[in-house]
This record gives sequence, structure tokens and C-alpha cells, in this order.
Amino acid sequence: MFKLNLKIALRNLWKYKGYTSINVFGLAIGLASCILIFIFVRYQLSFDKDYANGDRIYRMVTSWKYADGNEFYSQGVPLPLPAAVRNDFSQFEKVAAIQQSSGIVKAKALPGKAEVKKSESIYYAEPSFFEIFDYKWLAGNPNQSLTAPNTVVLSEKAANTYFGDWRKAIGNTLILDNKTDFKVTGIIKDNPQNSSFPLEIIFSYVSFNSKNSKDWGSVSSSWECYVLLKKGVLLSELDKPIQQFLNKYENDKDASGKVGHTVQPLKTIHHNDNYGNFANKYMPYKQIIGLVIIGLFLLLTACINFINLATAQAISRSKEVGVRKVMGSRRKQLIWQFLSETALITFIALLLACVLSELTLPKMENLFGGDVTFSLFGHPIIFVFLLVMLVVVSFLAGLYPALIMSGFSPALAIKNKVTANAGGVGLRKTLVVVQFAITAILIIGTLVVIKQMSFIRNKSLGFDTQAISLVSLPQDSLSKLKYNGFKERLSGIKGVKNISFCSAAPSSDSNNETSFTYNSSKRVDFQANVKAVDEAYFKTFGLQLIAGRPIAKSDTIKEFVVNETLIKKLNVKNPNEAIGKIMTLWGGKGPIVGVVKDFNNYSLHEKIAPMAMFSRKSNYRGIAIKLDVADIGNTMKQVESTFNTMFPDYVYENEFFDENLKGFYETEQIMGTLFKVFASVVIFISFIGLFGLISFVATQRTKEIAIRKVLGASNLELIKMLNNSFLWMVLIANMVAWPVAYIFVKNWLAGFEYRIDLSIWPFIFAMLISMSITIITVTLRSYRAAKANTIDALKYE
Amino acid sequence: MIELKNIEKYYANKGVKSYILRHVTTSIKQGEFVSIMGPSGAGKSTLLNILGMLEEPTYGEYHFMGEDVTAMKERQRIELYRNHIGFVFQAYHLIDEMTVAENIEAPLLYKKIPGAERKSRIADVLDRFNMVAKKDLFPNQLSGGQQQLVGIARALVAQPSIILADEPTGNLQSAQAEQIMDLFKKLNQEENITILQVTHSEKNAQYGNRILTIEDGVIKEDVSVNG
Repeated sequence: MFKLNLKIALRNLWKYKGYTSINVFGLAIGLASCILIFIFVRYQLSFDKDYANGDRIYRMVTSWKYADGNEFYSQGVPLPLPAAVRNDFSQFEKVAAIQQSSGIVKAKALPGKAEVKKSESIYYAEPSFFEIFDYKWLAGNPNQSLTAPNTVVLSEKAANTYFGDWRKAIGNTLILDNKTDFKVTGIIKDNPQNSSFPLEIIFSYVSFNSKNSKDWGSVSSSWECYVLLKKGVLLSELDKPIQQFLNKYENDKDASGKVGHTVQPLKTIHHNDNYGNFANKYMPYKQIIGLVIIGLFLLLTACINFINLATAQAISRSKEVGVRKVMGSRRKQLIWQFLSETALITFIALLLACVLSELTLPKMENLFGGDVTFSLFGHPIIFVFLLVMLVVVSFLAGLYPALIMSGFSPALAIKNKVTANAGGVGLRKTLVVVQFAITAILIIGTLVVIKQMSFIRNKSLGFDTQAISLVSLPQDSLSKLKYNGFKERLSGIKGVKNISFCSAAPSSDSNNETSFTYNSSKRVDFQANVKAVDEAYFKTFGLQLIAGRPIAKSDTIKEFVVNETLIKKLNVKNPNEAIGKIMTLWGGKGPIVGVVKDFNNYSLHEKIAPMAMFSRKSNYRGIAIKLDVADIGNTMKQVESTFNTMFPDYVYENEFFDENLKGFYETEQIMGTLFKVFASVVIFISFIGLFGLISFVATQRTKEIAIRKVLGASNLELIKMLNNSFLWMVLIANMVAWPVAYIFVKNWLAGFEYRIDLSIWPFIFAMLISMSITIITVTLRSYRAAKANTIDALKYE
Repeated sequence: MIELKNIEKYYANKGVKSYILRHVTTSIKQGEFVSIMGPSGAGKSTLLNILGMLEEPTYGEYHFMGEDVTAMKERQRIELYRNHIGFVFQAYHLIDEMTVAENIEAPLLYKKIPGAERKSRIADVLDRFNMVAKKDLFPNQLSGGQQQLVGIARALVAQPSIILADEPTGNLQSAQAEQIMDLFKKLNQEENITILQVTHSEKNAQYGNRILTIEDGVIKEDVSVNG
């Protein structure tokens, strides 16, 4: 029986090739999108899941609450915290400090291997870090390899880079910042891509300069601390000890904000955007949920298509149903027959979907700038997912048509008197409305996303971003002495317009905040974002002063320039009033000499912070070079060679400011692209579905159309008649979609401090798009129906 | 075999009952060949549908082989289809996507007859109807008469005790019609299969041994034919 039914199913699919290809193709595209979303979501959810004690690993984090309601979070902790935690908490089995830093790492030339010198992210970790996280050790072990000073552990990849082969690395020497020698004592296996810990070069913690710091007042995001909870300890049992801990150590009465420490579970490190992580990769749950919703939408529209087409086709199967019933088929058998037909179509579509997603995977990798490789069958879970999809889609799409078709009365079916309404025209219309509502929501969403992204791209940030190159500079005291010489040689290069030393660009993800005094000896109740810059900074980045002048040339703090926000927060109305007032900060004292017009110092997600800028050579981290647009390539080559002659022991690193800024919106860029792609997929699927439905309606009304023609209706009038009912459906769908889309879009935009005003245009536009698609589709198909030969339609009875 | 008592069928429309069948009482014995005749709209097809349990009477009692059909559950009715009733239709109603052999096999599948026996029975029937060469053709590759032969073969293969035929020759030319009617007669006489046909043609009715004439839903005449 099954074999015969399968054969019948295939013959049927072949007979209605048009419908079949519409069905299979629509379904395949929907399924392919779902597969891609699944692969993406699986990847995002797989971060940091591979550790044996994963559910007991937590990170200590820091928060500050200010009187004005502001809150700040950091993944870092004060340097003395790990030791204190180890001492005071009995609930933790292990406590480990790990610090991120950067430096120039060099391996001497070996026989048959040239010298390797690179600027790297490096880490200082306590041995217990590797007891908390069970890395696989290819050589050495945590307790021996990281206990002594001047020892270093490498990842397999890093070891291969520096020594050619990791087996030769053990016992060899790495030189850090041209100063200190470190002996390689261990090799760990490489981290997978889905890790928040891109550990490549790990120095023993005892080699860390500030390991004995007792300063509870400063926190850097690079100073992290991990703990392993004892088995059976509940999180709630930590509340009291943490409070006692805070009372004991974080009791600075003068602090402007209230400091708190909490534990953050390992599994949220990739998803919580309040805190950062070493890998700098996040995917907030909100976005994942958003994608899953889009995936469900896609699946739903594809299934709706299927239901519409299948019920429309049902009439042509009615005779078969009737005959089978009088031959003794039970309804249940018929339901299974039709369900297995759907399953067959779904299966074919799924195969096609696998091919489609395999073809699109490289595109998705590109979205991530090639950091990630995806593979279709890389994880066995995909097969479970495919199977679930097969079953779910078969039932979702197949059950209703199967119930309808198996329910035909044999007496009517045999007499060919099953009316077209048997398929439930009302339900089909509802489904189309739902489908078009989903389409409209996605169109509106896409339009808003595109608009907001271009708003961000084009918004004046308050400074110049074009043709500015940021070159980082070595930090050791010897190199600092060469700074001025370097600047002089750079200004000699043709094509260099302006040069400025600074701690960071105007907008940057490296920020420092500090408390300060203004015109009195009392600390102000908010903190200022500080930048150490030289006199040329304002000109280089095109910052405008609204009062006073830029700071004068100096190597230490002498004068200040503040921004509008800062004086507004101090309730100074006229910028000129602030000029000449004395500020103290970072131990330096001096008058305010200028007020700079507000510029965005963070990404547009966040508000402009109060800022203070001053000269301080010891804090300069890099040099910003404003270039002549005409010959950037050549100029940069000369800059590079100048750098290499001035600082031969260091590695030249250069970034263009405008590209650097783009990094702020990477998630939005990815989401924007995904939105665009999936919205067009949904539009396409709906289009196919509509075409199927209008085909059906046209067939169903063939006789009516013929009679109307005989009575004198023109083709145009007939097309208008068929269009009318569909346009109403699309109109209703849009009315349903608007409020839903409004809520979604409003929520998304709320994540941006600077955003477009939500106008009615995306909504109107979505309606126009869906209406014109409808008109085009319906007209195409109904023209054929209207032109059909009248006699053919009328002679059957 | 079949007992009908006071069968009525009407459709109520806005309180007005339009009767299709009124006070139909008759019985049909095993081995009879009954032709139901009458003008269009008289209720012949409705009567046949009721006999075939495709429609339910509004009133009345219907006993099939001693069992009350009106009280029957769907499952029991399906069992009757599988084992006792074969249908032959005016428009043949072969399943277009199945070959001749597959069409004939279908009822056997529902009867859950094992594969080997299915094969031999199909071969047997094809042989009897001289259609062995056509077994892999699809219905649309056959002439009307040949299609109806397949239709009858399909009805017969399950070895029913009664064949219900609704104008089996209505779409056929007279030569082919004769062939079909001869076949019915042979089946009736040689295999003692009860046959009930609805027909317009006086000539076809003569093949049977009893004619029921219906007019306006009422049995007007019930005569036996001595062919």
C-alpha cells in the first residue's frame, strides 16, 4: 500500500508540475532560511559551553550606581579583589585572576626559521584559572607551567607561529616588549571559534607588574576574576557574604558612585552586553530571539503557502478520494496518504533547502568578516533539527488539507459535485491575510532598519572621520623620548596635513572616567570622560570650540578644554563663564581655556558624556594623522617606513578612523543584512502563495467568468473584479500589521540614543509595495482566466 | 439480501420539503439482476446511492444481508464496501494516476490481501477481460469501453456479492455498451452475483430479470423480465 501510494504521490506531483515546483521552491526557500538561522543561533548559543564545570563557573564583575541614576558596569574588578575573595569566601572552590594586556612578542631566530615579532594580546593568568577551565594541555600542566615568574604558556597555534612547530617550543624563549625573557613551559590546545577566551599567549601571574597592587579605587575592564562555585552551593547563599565583602573593602566615603560586585554565570558572558569579554564578541539574547521569530515567520508563511495551494488543488483530487472510499478506504488511511504526500514534498524541499543553505553559508561567513566558519553538517544536532522540521512542516502544512480532502463525501465526489468552497475559502483568506500581515511587518521593519543605519552613517558626529589614520605607539620610556622626533619626521612627509598625539580618538571604545573638582575643592558628583591630547588634536579631528582656545603645548597637565555637556551638567549657562575656572583631575591642576562643541564620544547607542581634555604625554597611546585624500596609499607607506626606522623593535599598527567607527555598529550591520535578506524571502514566498491562490480562484470561477463574458463583461472589468477581493485582503493585512510592526520597530529604535523619528512613510510604503505586488500577480493570472475560451468553460456540466 | 422499508428522502428548504424518494419499499434477493428505470430526476440515482450507502435516507429502514444499515457505524460500512459491494460508475472513475493493474489492485490493498494472492487475482481478472497487454497503460490511454471494462474488473476483483452500477453504459457507444451488458449478464448467471443497475435504456434493461420503474420518487412498476 505504502509503495503504491508513494508512486501515486510522485505521479501526482509530476502531473501538476507547476504547483509542485511552486510548492517545493517556496518551501525550500523558507526551510533554507530556517536552516541558516538555526546554524547561526546554534553557533551563538554554543559559546563557552565546553567546560566540564561550566555551570559552576562565574565571573566577578563590578557595577557603579550614581546619585543621578546613571549606572555603569565593568567586567573587570580591582586588582586586590581576587586575593581578597579567595580569603573571605568559603563558597568558592577556586578563584583565579586573569589580566589582559598587549605587547610586542618576539621569538629569536632559530636554525631554519626567521625571527618572528608581533604585536599581540597577551594574558597574565593564575594557575588556578586552568583548574577552573579544563583546557587540554599538549605539554606541561597548570600547576607547574604557570607558577614560576618569567614563564609563558602558548596555544598550539601561537606556538606554531613563533617556533614553527609546537613540539619545538617547550624550553624556548619569548621576549616581551623587548625587555623580559619568558620561558615556554606549556602548550594548550587552541580555543574553538565559539569561545569568549581567545587565549594565545599566557604569562604566569607572578610576572604581572601590578600583581601586588592594593588599590581598590581603580578598575580596568582587562582585569577579570573567575571563580568556581563549590558543588551544591546556591547562588542565593552568596548574597550575604558579598554584602559583607563590599562593606569590608568597598567603603570609600569619598567615592562618587556606589560600587557593587556580583557574580556573572559563564554562560551569559557571550550574551550580556552590559559587560564585555576578552573576545569582544557578543550576541544579546534579544537579537537571537528576534532572529528566531523571523525564522518562525518564514516557516509560517511557507506553510501557509502550502496549505493554500494544497486545498486549492484538493478539488482535483476529489474523485480519487470518492473512489478510494467506495473501495473501502478509511478516512484515517486517506489522511495518512495525504500526510505522507506532504512529507514527501517537504522532504524534497528539505533536500533543496540543504543545497541552498550550503550555497549561502559563505555569504553568511562574510557577514562576520571571515572570523567564523559555518558548515551545514558540522554538528550532528542539525540532523535532529532537519527531522523536526520535516515532521513539523509536514503536519503544519499537511494536516489541514488532509482533513479537508479526506472529508469529501463520496457521493458528491463521484458525481464531481464537490464545491470549490469545500476547502474553506474563509480560512484560506484568513491565511493569506496573516501571510501578508507578516510580509508587511517585515517590510516596515526592513525599511526602518535601513533608514536608521543610513542615519547613523550620515549623522555628523561632531568631528572629522575622513582620511584619518590612527597609528599606535610603543609605551616604554625610551620610545617616549623619541615621540617628538617621530612627529617631526612625519610632518616632513608630503600628504600629511596634521598630526596629533592622543590617548584615544574622539569616539572610541577605550574610555577613561574620573572624578574631578571645578572651581572649588569639593569633588563634583559626576565623573568626566577624559582624553589626553596635544594642542593639534582639535585641528586634526576638526573639533569646534564654542568658547576660548585649544590647550597650549605641554607634556603635563596645564590647561583644560571641556565639552558643552560638562558645563551644562555643572549648570553653567554661558560657555564663556567657564573659561578661567580652575579644575583639578588626575593630580593635575589648571584653568579651563576652551569649551568644545559636543561630539559623540561613544557609539550612537549612548549619550554624549561630560568630557575633559588636557595634555599629558605619559598617556599618549597613539598618533592621529590627517592625510591628504589624494595619495593616501603612498603617504601611509612612508609613515610605515618612518615608524620602522624610529621604533625597530616594535610592530607597526595602523587603523583608519572611519573603519574603526564602523565596528561600533557591527551587530546592527549584521542584523540589518539579515533583515533585508529574510524580508525579501518572505515577500517572495508570499508572492508565490498569492499566485497559487489566484490561480485557484480563477479556476474556481471559470464558469462565472465565462457567463459574465457572455453577458458582455470586458477583460478589464473581469480583471478588476478578481483584483478587488484580493486588494481588500491586503488592506486588512496591513491594518493588522501596522500596530505590531510599530511595537517592534519602536523597541528596536529605543536601543539608539540618536535615532530617526518614526514617520508614517515606512508604513505607507509597505502597503504600497504589498498592494502593487498583489495587483501585478493577480492581473497576470486573471488576464489568462479572462482571456480563456468561453465555450470551454461552459460546455462541461 | 436487500430489504427496503418505507424509504423516504427529502431536502428541506425554507420549510418546504422537496421529496426525492417516497415510500420506497422493496426487496432484492441474492442472484437477481435488477434494472432501475425512470425519467431524469425521478430519484433513480438517489435510490442507488442509498443502496450503496453513499447517502442516508431521511426515513425508513434498510437491511443489507440482515443487518440494519442505518444503525451501522462507519467502520462496519467500510467493511461492507471491502467485502460485499462493488461500484461501477457512468464516468468510470478510474484513478488517473494509476495504471490499469494498479487500479485493479487498489481494492485488494484495502482488503489487506497478501501480495502473492493479489498478483494472481489481478492476472486472473486481466486474463478474463483480455486486457493483459494493457495492464501498464494509464486510463487516459484507453477507449471509453476499455476504461469501463477496467472499472468492472476493479469492482469484481474483490469478489463482491453485489455490483451497483450507475448508468454503466451511459458514456459508451452501442457496440461497447452491448459488450458490457453481456458481461453483466454472464456474471449474473455464471457467478450468481447480484447486479443492480440504473439505466435509461429499455434495451439494456432487458438484460436483467427485473425492472423497477420510478417516477417522482415513487415505485410505479415492478415487473420481471423473462429474458
